[in-house]
Amino acid sequence: MASQTETESGAAYAPLRARRPTDFDLTLPALGLLILFFVLPVAILLTRSVTEPQPGLGNYAELLGSSTYLRIFANTFIVSGLVTFVSLLIGFPVAWALAIMPSRIASIVFAILLLSMWTNLLARTYAWMVLLQRTGVINKVLIGIGLIDKPLPLVNNLTGVTIGMTYIMLPFIILPLYGVIRKIDPAILQAAALCGATRWQSLVRVLLPLAMPGMAAGALMVFVMSLGYFVTPALLGGTANMMLAELIAQFVQSLVNWGMGGAAALVLLVVTLALYAVQLRFFGTDRMGGR
Amino acid sequence: MSKPFLQIRGIRKEYGPVTAVQDVNLDVAQGEFLTFLGPSGSGKSTTLYILAGFENPTRGDILLNGETLLATPSHKRNIGMVFQRYTLFPHLSVGENIAFPLTVRRRPKAEIDAKVREMLKLVRLEGFEDRKPAQMSGGQQQRVALARALAYDPPVLLMDEPLSALDKKLREEIQYEIRRIHQQTEVTILYVTHDQEEALRLSDRIAVFSKGVIDQIGTGPELYANPATRFVAEFIGDSDFLPCNVVSAANGRAEIAIGDSMTVADVPLHGTASSGSKAALMLRPERLLLSKTRTESGLPVTVSDITFLGNNVHVVTRTSKGNGLSVRLPFGHEAISGLNRGDAVWLRFDAGSAHVFSQ
Repeated sequence: MASQTETESGAAYAPLRARRPTDFDLTLPALGLLILFFVLPVAILLTRSVTEPQPGLGNYAELLGSSTYLRIFANTFIVSGLVTFVSLLIGFPVAWALAIMPSRIASIVFAILLLSMWTNLLARTYAWMVLLQRTGVINKVLIGIGLIDKPLPLVNNLTGVTIGMTYIMLPFIILPLYGVIRKIDPAILQAAALCGATRWQSLVRVLLPLAMPGMAAGALMVFVMSLGYFVTPALLGGTANMMLAELIAQFVQSLVNWGMGGAAALVLLVVTLALYAVQLRFFGTDRMGGR
Repeated sequence: MSKPFLQIRGIRKEYGPVTAVQDVNLDVAQGEFLTFLGPSGSGKSTTLYILAGFENPTRGDILLNGETLLATPSHKRNIGMVFQRYTLFPHLSVGENIAFPLTVRRRPKAEIDAKVREMLKLVRLEGFEDRKPAQMSGGQQQRVALARALAYDPPVLLMDEPLSALDKKLREEIQYEIRRIHQQTEVTILYVTHDQEEALRLSDRIAVFSKGVIDQIGTGPELYANPATRFVAEFIGDSDFLPCNVVSAANGRAEIAIGDSMTVADVPLHGTASSGSKAALMLRPERLLLSKTRTESGLPVTVSDITFLGNNVHVVTRTSKGNGLSVRLPFGHEAISGLNRGDAVWLRFDAGSAHVFSQ
């Protein structure tokens, strides 16, 4: 837009006008908003984490020195990793199917996907609780058809968290993967077949490497979102596998310990930024969309 | 000729109500370069895709060395193919691309390396093995694709308009490369194109496709000198058509009348025509003789345009009824000197070089 304004006004009129807005000027309102609502709170949190209850790095030392807290960190990574892995496992075939199915049917599937994303998170999580509990539909059906004798523990544990979070994260992996797979020329796969590659070899040697940028983008997004997830782990998980967001909530809400809460939040932020840097290093933003 | 190497037997392909290929029969000899020539939608690519195993025919069979190919899936057919679009694997280097068919066949590493070197030499791209496809020009990419398709010594190589994305000069350059590679490897090639010049330059024989059937199969000179249908006559070489009336017809020859001024006897006739029926006379621009003085056997026409094309000159003329006839003469020909637009001239032709097509 800026260049268009320049050509329209022309050089002759330029001196008559006051200084025209530059690209940077135009970003100021957005920048102000970001600083006020994002940078400032984080800065305050950072400050409180090194000043409360007394100045210094005591909060961080306590957080990283305690085996209880470290177990919560580890658990956060395990759950996030597991959710990312299962999402990829389910998301890849779905994205592939979407890419090759007739566009009319694909748009219906997309509508269903998006509809689930727009449904309230709490409602969806409670729905899973109802489905997964000891007397829930899934256990009843499995017992009914004689597959199991007593109900499986599907909720208040790792299984429940993984199922609930994977369900929520799936669209975030399917959408970027779909974008990348659709850009792959089907003739490339035909060429692979004529070269003698079996379906499996075509998948592993051609399709997966070409879909890698989309897989990396989706996987990172899911992993990072999972790291900070609160509602689903709190409702579907058990006390044995608490996640970092739950710990932060506990510090702030129950213990009113802003210092520890801030420290935990910052550790999470640093890990997230580090992962993002890794992603940029290996895949780069310009390669996110595909080839 | 010994037993046919590749036989296409009554292939038909229907997509719902649309018939893409009607009834294609073809015998291909080992080592032959056969081109499917035709406009888009004529069924030539569909026939090639059936050979590749990407499509199944509604009816018919394909035999290679006497055994049916149709039961074999694409990846076991051992057929090579170069596609219209660039289909090199973008994440693999040139060397890895050429090695791909051998890698998936789990051949020993030493054999693969030797073959990759041999193939790079064949397509004259030695030293390029570490490049990525994106770092190469379109012509180079198609040469790598050719090397990849030949790396596993396929009995048949399919080429689906491999040069259509390239500019004219590069296209000619690679056409000669393909010819050389064909002579060097003696692989049987089935080549699809809509470009008659490309077909003539490359092929031993050409199969002209029209509306799902093969109109005629033959060498370039055969198709040019003796087109079986009006479509073939239009597609191979330049040609103009003049409405005419059949005076008499017998034994594949006809006597015809053009307008009321001229009759020509002993013109080769295609199709059936009886005395008095309407027909079309095909004339080639390079077989017409132009004379500035009135001759009894000449067709009177008016010059409407003269175009200088380097080694020859293109003269467009019109008959009194408004039909256009082009004449091509070598540069410096005495008949053109001093010729101007609007001049009255007379055209003559040898009856044997013309063709009559019944309507």
